[in-house]
Amino acid sequence: MIKKFFDWLKQPLGLIAVGIVFLALFSAATYGIYTTQQTPEQPIDFPHNKHISFGIQCLYCHPGASKGPAAGIPSQAKCWACHNQIVKTRDSALLAPLKDAVMSGESIEWVPVAIVPDFVQFNHRAHVAAGKNCEDCHGDLTKMTIYENPQVFNMGWCLNCHIETAGDDQEKLIKLSDCGTCHY
Amino acid sequence: MIRPEEIKMSTEETGKWGMVIDQDICTGCQACVAACAMENNITFVGEEDAGYGRSMHWIRIERFWEGEYPEVKMTPQQPMLCQQCGHATCEPVCPAFATVHSQAEQLNLQVYNRCVGTRYCANNCPYQVRAFNWRDYQRPEPLPNQFNPDVTVRRMGVMEKCTFCIQRIHKAQDKAKSEGREVMDGEFTTACAQACPANAIVFGRVDNPESLVSQLSHKGHGVKHLEELGTLPNVTYFKGG
Repeated sequence: MIKKFFDWLKQPLGLIAVGIVFLALFSAATYGIYTTQQTPEQPIDFPHNKHISFGIQCLYCHPGASKGPAAGIPSQAKCWACHNQIVKTRDSALLAPLKDAVMSGESIEWVPVAIVPDFVQFNHRAHVAAGKNCEDCHGDLTKMTIYENPQVFNMGWCLNCHIETAGDDQEKLIKLSDCGTCHY
Repeated sequence: MIRPEEIKMSTEETGKWGMVIDQDICTGCQACVAACAMENNITFVGEEDAGYGRSMHWIRIERFWEGEYPEVKMTPQQPMLCQQCGHATCEPVCPAFATVHSQAEQLNLQVYNRCVGTRYCANNCPYQVRAFNWRDYQRPEPLPNQFNPDVTVRRMGVMEKCTFCIQRIHKAQDKAKSEGREVMDGEFTTACAQACPANAIVFGRVDNPESLVSQLSHKGHGVKHLEELGTLPNVTYFKGG
């Protein structure tokens, strides 16, 4: 029975069938990986580019970046403090979820995009203090609406920058390439 | 072949962070054990696994007895934790380089994402202070709310051990750096030392002769456990002082 099946596979028709199965598996895998790399849908299509074009600094809404590990997402009270005063946005249908959240006191559930795994301990403050600008890692947000990662935040990418930053300073290189600096 | 005595001679006084434990004032109250579990997201393995000796404490209180029953006399309680050896036996045996020596902090690191769970390091540790995650232990609600966000939550198949609260070390260094100064002695301490009601545990820089921990550790009657193995432990014990 099995021998018959393998004999059939060796025929031109069988080879085509093998090819089709292989292609189907390959495209399914590719599609699976592709979907994991997509920017997730957010409760509000937040346009970063518009806010930046009005001259709002990154640190105005994400002040944690200069103070501690997490940059933070602004509270809805902070959003509403500005949007409440602008007639156009106060009654906009696009901002209805924000208005609802403010009125009901429930939080908006933003989906984190720029994330690192649990075993990585990242500290924004140290990077800002070292003279890194937001766009060095997060990309040019003047061209983005919903935030998307400009690259995959993997260890090789982190470490390249750490080694570059350390340069010839041996002490700095030891500190910046130490496992315990990020993993604990 | 290098003999242990030679290693000890050549690399003495190389540690950075150290600890002094006074067994005479330790009451064995287990506050350090509880504090450590809270600080470092250590799971409770439950009755069955504890019966197999799979309890995952990073610090434990050891008890010993002297004499024959019924004339037994208990020796002072002995808190045992990772000694952060300067010449650790766990490090060279790891096939995945998951337990490495930190050049920056002079600590024995356990890199959870590298660990493949061979448990070789635990078998080679003379102090028996490493704990292995035999399962993904479930934490019922609302226990996940008390996770320390600064510490990784370990998963099944990963070895773990005392880190000398490296998250606190980094936090203190970060704070000191942002204020443009060095970390002061006694500015921060490990969870076990903080929780100890008798102040039997003192933590600090051993490479700074001014610090309390290095002054205590040079008092004379301090003992380092299994020092004869050449492990260069960074924890000093006082007993019968």
